[in-house]
Amino acid sequence: MATEVLVPLAGNIWVVLVNVGDEVEEDDELLVIEALKMENPVYAPCDGTVTEIRVKKGDVVEDDDVLMIIEES
Amino acid sequence: MKPYFENMERFGKTLKQGRIKRAAASSEQLKQTEKEIEKLKKAVEAAGFSTEKINQRGVMTVWQRIEYLVDPGTWHPLHSLYNPLDNVEGTTNVVNGLAKIEGRWAVVIGFDNKVMAGAWLPGQSENILRVTDLAKRLNIPLVWLVNCSGAKLPEQEKFYANRRGAGTPFYRHAELQQAGIPILAGIYGTNPAGGGYQSISPTILIAHKDANIAVGGVGIVSGMAPRGGFDVEMLEELIEKTREFSASPPGTMATHFDVTGFVSRVYEEETGVLDGLKDYMKAIPAYKPEFFRVATPKAPEFPIEDLYSLLPANQKEVYNFDEVLARLVDGSEHMEFRPDYGPEMYTGLCKVDGMLVACIGNRQGFLGKGYPEYADYPGIGGKLYRQGLIKMNEFVTLCGRDRIPIIWFQDTSGIDVGELAEKAELLGLGQALIYSIQQTDVPMMLVVLRKGSAAAHYILGGPTANRHNAFTLGTPATEIAVMHGETAAVATYSRRALKEKDAGRPLQPIVDKMNALAQHYHDHSQPDYCAQYGLVDEIVKLQDLRSYMQAFAGAAYQNPTSICPRHQLLLPRSIKG
Repeated sequence: MATEVLVPLAGNIWVVLVNVGDEVEEDDELLVIEALKMENPVYAPCDGTVTEIRVKKGDVVEDDDVLMIIEES
Repeated sequence: MKPYFENMERFGKTLKQGRIKRAAASSEQLKQTEKEIEKLKKAVEAAGFSTEKINQRGVMTVWQRIEYLVDPGTWHPLHSLYNPLDNVEGTTNVVNGLAKIEGRWAVVIGFDNKVMAGAWLPGQSENILRVTDLAKRLNIPLVWLVNCSGAKLPEQEKFYANRRGAGTPFYRHAELQQAGIPILAGIYGTNPAGGGYQSISPTILIAHKDANIAVGGVGIVSGMAPRGGFDVEMLEELIEKTREFSASPPGTMATHFDVTGFVSRVYEEETGVLDGLKDYMKAIPAYKPEFFRVATPKAPEFPIEDLYSLLPANQKEVYNFDEVLARLVDGSEHMEFRPDYGPEMYTGLCKVDGMLVACIGNRQGFLGKGYPEYADYPGIGGKLYRQGLIKMNEFVTLCGRDRIPIIWFQDTSGIDVGELAEKAELLGLGQALIYSIQQTDVPMMLVVLRKGSAAAHYILGGPTANRHNAFTLGTPATEIAVMHGETAAVATYSRRALKEKDAGRPLQPIVDKMNALAQHYHDHSQPDYCAQYGLVDEIVKLQDLRSYMQAFAGAAYQNPTSICPRHQLLLPRSIKG
């Protein structure tokens, strides 16, 4: 099953920590969004494989934008 | 109450390898800061004459006396770098901390006899008053190692007089004794004038055979009458008098043991004095920890070393406070109070060495959509909002009712601001928390994990809570200032910049001033600054935080002034529902 990772808080992409094809576990850090002057990590909602990344460093993202897709294992 | 406390809810998760890897540079930075702080502490310890030189005189140093006196592994130093008036000696010349003596917690303080034979120095009385406040708040004995040559005369104007001057500790000693808190003094060396009052003001006096205590020492007695100046003839006369008084100084043990009887015991050996103090400590009332334990002590489930990967050195990086707390409390277990309300604050019951403590800490990061409920902007951890303030007021009040000591953890940028925040009553709720703390009246300690800013630093159990905060610790990531330096620069220069712009003048000079102010804020908010100027009582290594919490809990429960029977506690039942 594919799970979308959504933007929890509008801001700028500070850093992307994974690549397409990476195996991740629930609660792994996927990327960091800079918002409200803070660097906020976004965590994996489930175990799986990163199949798609839709953002890159510096992108402006809005609430509920899709950041990446994880195929659940 | 066993079902409540023996096995509480587990919290925290095993650290991910990815987190450890990502935090490697931050972890290294924290450890580097700890090394730098340690280096500064070593320099203070080495102040004055060398240990060898003092030992050659047949005398122990204050550090050797403390090492002999306290139970191994229980020394928790405080105020190691405290030197608020920048003394050239690098110290206020008293060494102090929490330690066990014969199994009982005490506040221990001693003059550094390597520096000017333990003289009074600027800033010293403030250091001593912190220590007497600590003994009073925890209701535990104060143990003095007196070895005080009196005032450093060329700088007396900085400390002799004033409301909180060098004489104030003698009133504080009287105040402690009035409250039933004993003060034990081991007395060494020559203690004239102020040193004499340092010696006479405690409850029990134990002295070394060569010690003397006196209203005035040789220097004063031999030259007391001012004659409007000096000449060689007068100096010759002074030399003769000094020779005479030095041969027979006032206030020896022949007087104060044999004649006045002020001194309870006199010992031939320096260690004998310390053994005498240990004897008296055995005679002081103290509950055994079992009396107040609600469960068997347990180590945290996760290693304390994890803290270096969990707490980012970068002030902007968000982390999980609950994971930090899980590394510090027994069994990584807790009972959280109102977890579904006021998400920016953690409030909960935890155990330290099997004893119940209340923990309050700032959570970090995005607080979820729709919070704060009174605003159209997102809430972020570190800030305080209406619900968090109400929750803390309730929690603190219940802790007071249940007589539970509180450990605060600060990492706060302040209370929410703006018209919506005003309408949400945050100004009133902040001061209400101060009232709740005052009303609660239980021992509290504070750890400033990272930021201590704005009024939030006051209301979250900060050291400004003089009668409640026993002590405040900083970490290698601590940063305390009214606001961030860049924010201060904007507040200071934005209108000026506008005027310069409209006048057609260059902006670079304003930019330079803004950068200089931001740098000034940075330099005056870092761990070493906080320790030197008393914004915290000690900067400790992250790996030592739990040990200080154990010292606090042990001391707070050693001889509490009021008790709530465990089967009459309300807070755990309020949490359970």
